[in-house]
Amino acid sequence: MSGPREAIFPTRMALTNTKLRLKGAQTGHSLLAKKRDALMTRFRAILRKVDEAKRKMGRVMQLASFSLAEVTYATGDIAYLVQEQAKNASFRVKAAQENVSGVVLPTFEVDRVAGSDFNLTGLGRGGQQVIKSKEVYAKALETLVELASLQTAFMILDEVIRATNRRVNAIEHVVIPRLENTIKFIISELDEMDREEFYRLKKVQGKKKRDAEAAEALKKKLAIEAGEAAEESAKPVSVLVDEEVGPGDLLATKDEDVIF
Amino acid sequence: MGYGSYATLGLTTATAVSVGLYLLLTGKGETFNVGAFLEETSPYAWASVGIGLCLGLSVLGAGWGIFLTGASILGGGVRAPRIRTKNLISIVFCEVVAIYGVIMAIVFVQKVESVPEAKLYTPSNYFTGFALFWGGLTVGLCNLFCGIAVGMTGSTAAIADAADPTLFVRILVVEVFASIMGLFGLIIGLLVGGKAANIE
Amino acid sequence: MEGLFFNVSAGFLEGILRGYKAGLLTQAQYATLTQCETLEDFRMQLSATDYGNFLANEPLPISTSKISDKATQVMVDQFHYLRSNAVAPLDKFLDYITYAYMIDNVILLITGTLHERDTHELLERCHPLGVFDTMPALCVATNVEELYQSVLVETPLAPYFRECLSASDLDDLNIEIIRNTLYKAYLEDFDNFCQSIGGPTYDAMHRILAFEADRRTINITINSFGTDLSKEQRARLFPTIGNLFPAGNNLLAKADEIEQVRAVCDYVAEYRHFFDAAASSASRGNGGAGDDPTSAIAATLEDRFFATEVHLNKLSFLQQFQYSIFFSYFKLKEQEIRSLTWIAECIAQDARDRIQDFITIF
Repeated sequence: MSGPREAIFPTRMALTNTKLRLKGAQTGHSLLAKKRDALMTRFRAILRKVDEAKRKMGRVMQLASFSLAEVTYATGDIAYLVQEQAKNASFRVKAAQENVSGVVLPTFEVDRVAGSDFNLTGLGRGGQQVIKSKEVYAKALETLVELASLQTAFMILDEVIRATNRRVNAIEHVVIPRLENTIKFIISELDEMDREEFYRLKKVQGKKKRDAEAAEALKKKLAIEAGEAAEESAKPVSVLVDEEVGPGDLLATKDEDVIF
Repeated sequence: MGYGSYATLGLTTATAVSVGLYLLLTGKGETFNVGAFLEETSPYAWASVGIGLCLGLSVLGAGWGIFLTGASILGGGVRAPRIRTKNLISIVFCEVVAIYGVIMAIVFVQKVESVPEAKLYTPSNYFTGFALFWGGLTVGLCNLFCGIAVGMTGSTAAIADAADPTLFVRILVVEVFASIMGLFGLIIGLLVGGKAANIE
Repeated sequence: MEGLFFNVSAGFLEGILRGYKAGLLTQAQYATLTQCETLEDFRMQLSATDYGNFLANEPLPISTSKISDKATQVMVDQFHYLRSNAVAPLDKFLDYITYAYMIDNVILLITGTLHERDTHELLERCHPLGVFDTMPALCVATNVEELYQSVLVETPLAPYFRECLSASDLDDLNIEIIRNTLYKAYLEDFDNFCQSIGGPTYDAMHRILAFEADRRTINITINSFGTDLSKEQRARLFPTIGNLFPAGNNLLAKADEIEQVRAVCDYVAEYRHFFDAAASSASRGNGGAGDDPTSAIAATLEDRFFATEVHLNKLSFLQQFQYSIFFSYFKLKEQEIRSLTWIAECIAQDARDRIQDFITIF
């Protein structure tokens, strides 16, 4: 009877209900555990990809900034001109959704528009370097977008897995033990009640038997004494029986009251 | 050498031609008489002009050379101060040219004495006058070009020295050759002057 | 004859300039610089050279752009010293050098004005050599028409604008086309000016300017492949003073691919080896761009151009008593700053394998 339990009357109805709830909790637990495992697998995969993407980003960004250095070497500072002449985005990011075990993950996709606004930059010199740099940076951006997509998924999955874990643990360590405790309590209470009832019945039976025996003996005695004095004995017997039964009944009801 | 020189040349020719034609066509053609000019001009005039040209042209050459060299030494010396003293030798080479001129002028001046007019127009005095004039011109022009040559090589030497110290001696050799040309003038001037007797 | 009078006006400055030239970094110094592990080392090595302590007061994380800015400042100071001591015709000659930077600045300002940027911010981005007196007045102008009427007319660049473009052109033409048209006019004008100086100055300058013209011609041709620049427009951007002019220019104006450019360059002996070497290094597989032959050739071509430019500029130092050394010195100095920035960039980005890809001058 240790551990917390629900405040409930130990009745058969409550027992049935609680048992049903325990069953539900167990099913939920196994479902959530499965979900957690699925998410974990996904999470691990993403983790690996993130790691890969980060390494790749390091390399690609280095390449990209190096190609910018090449442009600076060949043409000088073109940053401002490029910045001013860019009118339309040639590199767009589209967001989509992906469903993993009921978790909605946003994914980003690259959408490149061909051509650009500054294709004549460096016409006099260094144009090739500018174009090359542009390509390299576009690749770097792609990596970044991929990384961003993975990173967002990573964060969301992390959150979801933690929530799921909490739930699984709560069910496993709090809800199920409490329900089990409740069930045990109800069962033991019911047993207790059974035993009391049984004892009471026994007691009543014993008393009835004794009374019956007494009555029998009295009857016999009366019958024996009937011969002697039939009228004399009849009245005192009925008084005696009333006196014996009364206090037993009172005790039984009183007990029940205390318990319930 | 721009339009200025062409204009000068053209103007000079035009003037000469018109004056010549004027003289010729107005019947005064005989006024233009080289022989009479040479005979009538005083040997003193020839001698003095010769001495003047000798010294003047020599100093012009030396001065020209010094400013050519000096400008480069100044400029080169800003970033490489070590060239200052070493390259003074180029300045000295230029200066030497002026000294040649001074020496020759002194030698020539010794030949000129004041004499009465009756004794002036003798063949010997004519010779002395012409010798001093042409000798002075020889020395002067020699020294002028020598000075310029030394100046240019000196300027190159200064800049080359500033860039690479090992080049200095090599260019100095060239410079020495240039400065020897002044000596040629000096020698010939002495020879020409030596032949002439004093005016007396 | 130049030797007789050159030193009167420019002998002192020539001496100083040759002194500056002696301060250009040498091969050994470059070798030391490339050995540096950090930019801090780099700064220390540089302080032992002619640059002195130009970075001494910079706070510690030195950016490569800061190095380049400061080095440019050193160059600009040298230029201003020469310019303020110069007399005719050297002053005009030095002014011509600034026109190239001025064109860049004006283009920058026009771009900014078209997009209605804050002009004060633009002024800070201008190259200090290309600053002209009326530039702050640009803050007043709000559109390009006004810009031309009030500011550009006053600048030395006005004739270039007048000859090539009308004010209405400025609004709708591509800014790069304007830049290249101006540059073409500038090159031709500079060449004319050098011709008026004549003598060895013209000999040396024409060689350099002709190469610059050809280089622009070839670059414009290659860079305009696959763009919306029409062939007539392209032909109008070609300077007419190069060695390729006129036959080569005409062919290049019609060229469609790199092979044709190579064929044209074969006519000029000096340019023949550009493509041979470029092609061979492209076939070796040149870095990331190796898969695309055009860009690989063009990339190495750019390096060859730089190398040839340095070579030509070095040649002009072989002759005394002429002005082209002033032009050459600043071109070499610019190249040196580029090389320094490159090395600094390589050190900062830890790209040791490419650190040798600069051009040593001496």
